[in-house]
Amino acid sequence: MNSSADRMRRALIWAWTAAVIVFMYLPALGLVLASSTSSRYFIFPITKWGFDWWQKTFASLEIHQLFRTSLLIAACVTVIAVVIALFGALAFARYDWKGRSIYQKIVLLPIFFPQSVLGLALLLWFNALGFTMSWQTAVFAHLVWIIPVCTLVISIQVYSFDPALEEAAFDLGATKWQVFREVTLPVLFPGIFSGALFAFLLSWGNFPLSLYTTGADTTLPEYLYAKMIAGYTPGVPVLGTVSTLGAAVLLLLGYFIIVVLRRRRSAGSDEAA
Amino acid sequence: MTGRPPILQLRNLTKVFGTFTAVNDVNLDIEEGEFFTIVGPSGSGKTTLLRMLTGMEFATSGDILLRGTRINDLPANKRPTCMVFQSLALFPHRTVGQNIEFSLKIKGIDPATRKRRALELMRQLRLPEDYYGKNVTKCSGGERQRVALARALAYEPDILFFDEPLSAIDYKLRKTLEKELKDIHRETGKTFIYITHSLEEAMVMSDRIGVMRAGRLVQVGSPQEIYSAPQTKFVSEFIGDVNVIAVTANGAGGVHAAEFGVSFKAPPAPAGFSAGHLVVRPESLRFVAGRSEAENVLEGRVYNEYALGSRIQYQVRVGEHVFIVEKLRQQAFGGHRDDAVLIGWDASDSILVTD
Repeated sequence: MNSSADRMRRALIWAWTAAVIVFMYLPALGLVLASSTSSRYFIFPITKWGFDWWQKTFASLEIHQLFRTSLLIAACVTVIAVVIALFGALAFARYDWKGRSIYQKIVLLPIFFPQSVLGLALLLWFNALGFTMSWQTAVFAHLVWIIPVCTLVISIQVYSFDPALEEAAFDLGATKWQVFREVTLPVLFPGIFSGALFAFLLSWGNFPLSLYTTGADTTLPEYLYAKMIAGYTPGVPVLGTVSTLGAAVLLLLGYFIIVVLRRRRSAGSDEAA
Repeated sequence: MTGRPPILQLRNLTKVFGTFTAVNDVNLDIEEGEFFTIVGPSGSGKTTLLRMLTGMEFATSGDILLRGTRINDLPANKRPTCMVFQSLALFPHRTVGQNIEFSLKIKGIDPATRKRRALELMRQLRLPEDYYGKNVTKCSGGERQRVALARALAYEPDILFFDEPLSAIDYKLRKTLEKELKDIHRETGKTFIYITHSLEEAMVMSDRIGVMRAGRLVQVGSPQEIYSAPQTKFVSEFIGDVNVIAVTANGAGGVHAAEFGVSFKAPPAPAGFSAGHLVVRPESLRFVAGRSEAENVLEGRVYNEYALGSRIQYQVRVGEHVFIVEKLRQQAFGGHRDDAVLIGWDASDSILVTD
């Protein structure tokens, strides 16, 4: 009785796990398959295997430029978003003040805007102000959407922050700046780090906002889209794979850093003195 | 205490938040080297008072004088005082050593001196030396208390404040730490100002106790004075279970209890006493065989009995009024529920208090 129910449950868990893997990760694998063909078009089953398109893609100057633009935007967005989001999250979760709840709503609202609408609105706005679209305007557009997300991520850490820590440091003779540097910042660091990771990855993979606001500059997702509708080559899945792998590596690296950091903390490092 | 001038003087100290007066006209002198405890229920203003003393909150009016110098407007980081927080507020990203050395690092003292001082304090507080590199979050409750205390002592404060640091600790460890704290007070000779909601805790450690109620300091005295001579019903009830009878002066040196329609012999009333309460401690009430065995006697029925470890507590109903009688287990009264009994006490065992 019991064991048959147990078997049933185990079978269901396996089926569910398999379904998750098939539906969520297999398409990404399909991308790798599509990039590993030597023929011009994607035909399944693949008849001619090869990595010609990988070589061609890596050799292309145009692709290098794409990576540079995407990286530049993501890097700028990460730095600016983390700084603004950290202080936003502190105001959001650490301090109690009149108007806090309305501030929280206003800050978080952009998350719920459809990104294509937000992109269009920003395009019109930039035009009205007389800006020329470029990667800089795209940074701004990304920030509008990413800062709220980043604020939310960091605020989770801030909520669990004991304000008495700051008071204790202050009471022990630290100036406000020393309190921030010695206590607030290091204690909140795991949250800030996750926020930075989020900011980078969201900017790296963003398409709708970039589409409207990059002007003459092109990011990776934009290029992928353009190539998909006109001029498909297996270089498209190659780029897709590289871009996804890059994000995955970054994510794993981030996870690794967090784990090491946590282990070092709980082990009690002897970096003192 | 000593003949030295007080280290801390509070003059008409008041703190108002909006329309709420959290601390109301507090006057107090604290002697050098004293262990002073401020006791009060939550919301009595004791935390606000402490925060003003540490410089984390600023007084609305009145003065705080440290060795005669007004320090009202000095922020916490400029005051030569330090506090042990309720949550202890140990820095979770730092080791035991780094926590203790924090104030020394801020002062710019070199690492070698810092370490020497930290190890010295750890020895004094009976923390093993190899804890120096241990993460604070890995320490036990008692160890964390000691680290917090060491961190505060490293600052070399003139006054050490405590904001109920023992409130979250289990009973047995708390009792040990209370005694330890008193020992450390003795060893360091520093002035300790402690706040708690537990009068029991205050009794164990303090040289003097101040009881707060609704923002006011209602009584200040030695633990013995607070225990045996409370001036108000509030203070007498704060100590624990007591029997309180509403009375009025009867003009003949005694008091009249309208509730029972009788007069009681009472201790000498404070000057101008007209109405108040007669307080009799549970251990001062006794079961008597006849009306001549005590100066004041009431007749009632045993309602229930509770075993409290070394003591047994009885509830005796006299009309609607429930009296609490406590006896040591060895002296347990042989009665049972619903037995008719006589309970009595002498005037000298009771206390007259005002509202």
